[in-house]
Amino acid sequence: MSLHRADTLGGRAAIAGIGATEFSKDSGRSELKLAVEAVHAALDDAGLRPQDVDGLVTFTMDTSPEITVAQAAGIGELSFFSRVHYGGGAACATVQQAALAVATGIAEVVVCYRAFNERSQHRFGVGLTSRQASSEGAAMGWTMPYGLVTPASWVALHAQRYLHSYGLSPDVLAPVAVADRFHAATNPAAYFYRRPITLADHAASRWIVEPLRLLDCCQETDGGQALVVTTSERARDLRHTPALITAAAQGAGRNQEAMTSFYRDGLTGLPEMGVVARQLWRTSGLTPADIDTAVLYDHFTPFVLMQLEEFGFCGPGEGAAFAAGGRLQLDWSGGDGLPVNTHGGQLGEAYLHGMNGIAEAVRQLRGSAVNQVPAAQHVLVTAGTGVPTSGLVLSRGR
Amino acid sequence: MTDTFQAYAGRPAAVGGRALDLVNAPMIRHWCEAMGDANAAYTGPAQVAPPAMLQSWTMAGLGGVGGVGDGRSAEYGDLLGALDAAGFTSVVATDCEQEYLRPLRPGQRVLYDSEIESVSAEKSTALGVGRFVTTRTDLRAYDEAAGEKAEEAVPVATHRFRILKFRPAEAPAPVRPSSEGERALRPRPVVNRDNAGFWDGVAEGELRFQRCTDCATPRLPWLPGCNACGSAAWTAEAASGAGTVYSYVVVHHPLPAAFREQGPYAVALVELEEGVRTVSNILGLPAAEVRIGLPVRLDFQCYDEELTLPVFRPATADDLPPLRVPVTRTLIVAGAIASRDYQDVHHDVELAHAKGAPDIFMNILTSNGLVGRYVTDWAGPGARLTGISVRLGVPAYPGDELTFTGRVVERDGPRRTVAVTGRTRRGAHATATVRLTTGEAQS
Repeated sequence: MSLHRADTLGGRAAIAGIGATEFSKDSGRSELKLAVEAVHAALDDAGLRPQDVDGLVTFTMDTSPEITVAQAAGIGELSFFSRVHYGGGAACATVQQAALAVATGIAEVVVCYRAFNERSQHRFGVGLTSRQASSEGAAMGWTMPYGLVTPASWVALHAQRYLHSYGLSPDVLAPVAVADRFHAATNPAAYFYRRPITLADHAASRWIVEPLRLLDCCQETDGGQALVVTTSERARDLRHTPALITAAAQGAGRNQEAMTSFYRDGLTGLPEMGVVARQLWRTSGLTPADIDTAVLYDHFTPFVLMQLEEFGFCGPGEGAAFAAGGRLQLDWSGGDGLPVNTHGGQLGEAYLHGMNGIAEAVRQLRGSAVNQVPAAQHVLVTAGTGVPTSGLVLSRGR
Repeated sequence: MTDTFQAYAGRPAAVGGRALDLVNAPMIRHWCEAMGDANAAYTGPAQVAPPAMLQSWTMAGLGGVGGVGDGRSAEYGDLLGALDAAGFTSVVATDCEQEYLRPLRPGQRVLYDSEIESVSAEKSTALGVGRFVTTRTDLRAYDEAAGEKAEEAVPVATHRFRILKFRPAEAPAPVRPSSEGERALRPRPVVNRDNAGFWDGVAEGELRFQRCTDCATPRLPWLPGCNACGSAAWTAEAASGAGTVYSYVVVHHPLPAAFREQGPYAVALVELEEGVRTVSNILGLPAAEVRIGLPVRLDFQCYDEELTLPVFRPATADDLPPLRVPVTRTLIVAGAIASRDYQDVHHDVELAHAKGAPDIFMNILTSNGLVGRYVTDWAGPGARLTGISVRLGVPAYPGDELTFTGRVVERDGPRRTVAVTGRTRRGAHATATVRLTTGEAQS
């Protein structure tokens, strides 16, 4: 992928299988077991067997190495194994890595996976207490002694400036949470199945880190999610309609940090997502108007508004107006909306570091989503926000 | 319930004390040189003595206790002797409260009487177990050079002085990391080769940012190269301390262990006037009142024995510009001698060691003098100090740097009350309240 011109990866690879464990608050088993179960589920979905796999990709944050997953999943020799850094920013990039591998013949079937006991074992939300004296640790060292230690607090520091800059109140974040929970309410796989919320519920929920309320924050989840990537040609012969990888991109901004990019520009946007957006539109040849539904990374609501702006669904500072009134919900009947996070997102379905959102995009293109957007042709998916990140435009194959 | 020591309260500490020397220009000049005080009011034909120099006129000097200049009463000698006998052999001054009624001028003779105001019960202090002894001294003066008689002496000042007579603690308790039952400590900064210079600066009371030598772009956080041009050449600069809140949050949940006691707290992103930003805490303002755009000023806060952090407080027009004073051996010794304080711990390293101190340290008269200088530097020669109260905290040793900060906390006509803190990397050395009457230039 290039910052300056369209790349040649588009359309050459596809997601042919998706598989996940149940999403829970206490899985009762190891993270490795969750990873293996998700990988098997995705292979079953694709109609492939472990012995067909020759590549594995995961997050650097994942505790289950590619080789160990291969060992425990019955996968043999590997010609490609890779990991992507920066937390949830890795999600769509795992698919990009896999696509690069299969498009160039380095591997034929690559499984991307992410599995953790993020609720019952290693909760991100409790915050940092110390870091090693590496350059990465040092970046966190500027904020930790002051009690800025949780993901919510890092995002809130951006959000406060964003709201201030555009003269908005924290209430404008509510429609994002309401849309996620609206979709989760009809998704049996979602933790918040049958539990929608209202704007008033949002306003009444307690502060976590002002200006973020409880209902602005994603869940913490135990579970695993895997995706099978192969060439578009091979995908056509498999069980499901392929989700073609029309464009895939990573992005880091100038003076980028991981969650603590407080020292650059005006803190009113997500420059790294702007880098992703420019590449996706250029390579796909599509525009926001071509997108039928989007899965926008939603660990915290404010960054959903900023993503709408970075991708050009609306102008800078217009995300709140774009999201208001139910325009992100599937039941919106006006012409100026965009169904977002139809699975319920990470607030409503599960926090699987963005990987469950990619699976939802695949279901939308297959026509098998529980909250199906009619005849969805192109879906935008994004990865973790506030960190170096990635994105995908997936399209209905055949 | 009083014990034998406390029974000394109310007895005289000095009777009919008489300063050895008239108030005189050479001692004033030596004192001003030692303190670095260039106030024009202390020179020239209309010269007055620096008010903070008060105690220098009545010190026993090198003649010492029982010598020609010692006005000490027998009762006071008995009390100190009894405390020595009880094992409280070490002494340190802790508080000095002075009220200045009239300026002292060359040619005046100072007379004084002193009373033992109180003796405390045994107290455990950071230095060791001991008792605080407070004396109150009334000072009068008459213009002997102009032929006035002692009977004509008029009140010029009162002086309350508190010392701690103590038994030195065996060995300082080592700092232990947080464990059960102890106060939780804040997360530590992450110090490495690339950013150590920042934390060195904090230790010296400065917030240092980097500036690219090639393109002049200021940089914070610290990194070994410039993002604007890639240059590896840089210099460190000390921030002025002025900034505004660029963004902020109020943390409610979860409250990290070290923050649990204080409840929800604000963390701010402060943009310094030099154009760099830093994450910090805002002190002196309820979390709910922090706002974007709030002008703030740099301060330093000691959170535990190993953690001092740059923090910010709301800035107001009432802030005094900070003053940095390197604590050299010369300053400590010159200040002690200029104030006629020949206690060995202020000039003799070996004897200081023998008394459990790591080095010689600044005497309270010098601390008091520096506080006075700091405020009059700001207020100008037309201002008149009417009182200084100093409480000493951590000692000031050679190699330290004292950073004085101050703020006007009360205004009443021409009268001002200024809160002053003198801080070293070890913490607050002097916490003071200074009262003054402004001159014409200070309406």
